[in-house]
Amino acid sequence: MFKKTSLAAGVAAFAAILFAGGYAIADAQKVDFTAMSAEELAEYIILESGGFHLDAAVQEGGTMRARMEQDDLQKACSVVGGGKPDAATLEAVRAAAAASITYPEGGIKLGDWQKGRELSWSGFGYRVGHRNDDHSASRQPGGNCANCHQKVSDRDGGTLGPDLTGYGKMRGTSDAMLKYVYDVIYNAHAYFPCTQMPRMGAKGVLTQEQIADIMAWLLDPESPVNK
Amino acid sequence: MLKKALLALPVALALGVAANAQKAPEDVLQRLIDSIDSTYLTQSEMNLMMMPDSPALWLIDDGQELFHEARGPNNVSLETCDFGKGPGVLEGVFVEFPRYFEDAGRVMDFESRLVHCMKTIQGFTDDDPAIKTKHGNAADITKLQTYVASLSNGHAWNPPLDHPMEKAIRDAGEIIFYRRAGTMDFSCSTCHAATGKRIRASVLPDSNVPEEWTKAVSWPAFRVGHDNVRSAQHRVSECYWQMRHAEPVWGDIGMIAIISYWNDRARGQPAILPDMKR
Ligand code: HEC
Ligand code: HEC
Repeated sequence: MFKKTSLAAGVAAFAAILFAGGYAIADAQKVDFTAMSAEELAEYIILESGGFHLDAAVQEGGTMRARMEQDDLQKACSVVGGGKPDAATLEAVRAAAAASITYPEGGIKLGDWQKGRELSWSGFGYRVGHRNDDHSASRQPGGNCANCHQKVSDRDGGTLGPDLTGYGKMRGTSDAMLKYVYDVIYNAHAYFPCTQMPRMGAKGVLTQEQIADIMAWLLDPESPVNK
Repeated sequence: MLKKALLALPVALALGVAANAQKAPEDVLQRLIDSIDSTYLTQSEMNLMMMPDSPALWLIDDGQELFHEARGPNNVSLETCDFGKGPGVLEGVFVEFPRYFEDAGRVMDFESRLVHCMKTIQGFTDDDPAIKTKHGNAADITKLQTYVASLSNGHAWNPPLDHPMEKAIRDAGEIIFYRRAGTMDFSCSTCHAATGKRIRASVLPDSNVPEEWTKAVSWPAFRVGHDNVRSAQHRVSECYWQMRHAEPVWGDIGMIAIISYWNDRARGQPAILPDMKR
């Protein structure tokens, strides 16, 4: 894991001058890149060099800088060269993920599969740059599920995640199953620590109601996923 | 086929390009396809068919003209620009980027170096359309880049790592490639570290398979979906946007670190220049 505290002396000194002066870095050459570890230089490039538009406003409020700073899970699950971290780290990630999940008052129920169909298809939301996704307009952020999951034949889904065609038909709708699917959508790391699947509930991308709608799309016997 | 012959021949004759560079981009791609089972390389049969008539090929001529024409406030050509192998040498330079340049004191990708020469040699400034317009077929930068890139077609990627700065930036690029952040916890490796996976209908290139990755990093490419020729920097920006990360500053160190790492991952494999993409 990257230690934020161990910035190379060269950067620290430069940063001190910089922040005291309060101007943006114009000339990155004043920093000795070769005196830093690769991790330090990467952090410097992303957060200090001016190489990214960190002041851009983001849809959740605040600026891009907050998004680019890693939280504990993101740090733990970034393994250079690929693969997963050690077992103890995975267990810590799993436990923290399980603790992050909040449930709807009155229990987990299936919502409206037709809404869920659209939400699971849509990849709209949270994009910032040459074009910004406007959440205040009629469109709300989607679940991006189809980017990674194949579900039904009517539209082409991705294959980064497992094929979910016929998911409800195979798995049923027991209370345990409802909780499992809710948890996976809310924060899949509770079952698959350091998974590629985004934390749709824990990161506030989807509301509890939207999760219920997507669950219906996956599990409702009436949903085309299960026909 | 006729168009290709008409185009490729004068370019090759005029500049005396090496034998391997005389092969057309689609031939370079075909050799890769024959060498490895890859759904990424073969995903668009239509593109394979269209490559001999790629609109990117027409930009080569435009770029060549622009390159050798006296332009800018200083009214000189770019012929004295040093792309790393000495002033005026263009053949094979494109696959040896990013590179540290003493005169600039920093590591530059090809596009940054081109802009540097347009400023220092020709006297253009950031506000001149020649530099300001970065996107699309009509941009001078696109034409110039496509021309010089075409002179590295079929050459093996070989970004230099001898200078400590080149090595440092490549290594930081590797960390960035695997660094998860943002709303969706994405890193580049989320989508580019497994073979034959798809995001929706798009087959993702795997950075661990150099024969796939060389096509992935072969820009400029005619982007069929955009009906325009796009650059490496444009692709970097697009992937950051999809990732819900911050937009990299055009030509700045974030871009260059990523491009240093991605060109290194294609090392030894022939570049397809210009390429055609979905
Ligand atoms: C970036 C890709 C990605 C996105 C986006 C994504 N998932 Fe996943 N999902 C995965 C992966 C990968 C797994 C497999 C878990 C693992 O082993 O890491 C998975 C697992 C699952 C599972 C568990 C499957 C099982 O075997 O029980 C469900 C259910 C699921 N996803 C639903 C969804 C839904 C619903 C959405 C949209 C809200 C979604 N996913 C979005 C990648 C993704
Ligand atoms: C959420 C998934 C995702 C992430 C994360 C992602 N990309 Fe991509 N990338 C794609 C898709 C989809 C394409 C288009 C592939 C296609 O058209 O076949 C692509 C294309 C590319 C290509 C060109 C290949 C082509 O054929 O167009 C390169 C190179 C690339 N990405 C590099 C990166 C880098 C570097 C990062 C991190 C800064 C990154 N990607 C992050 C999904 C992603």
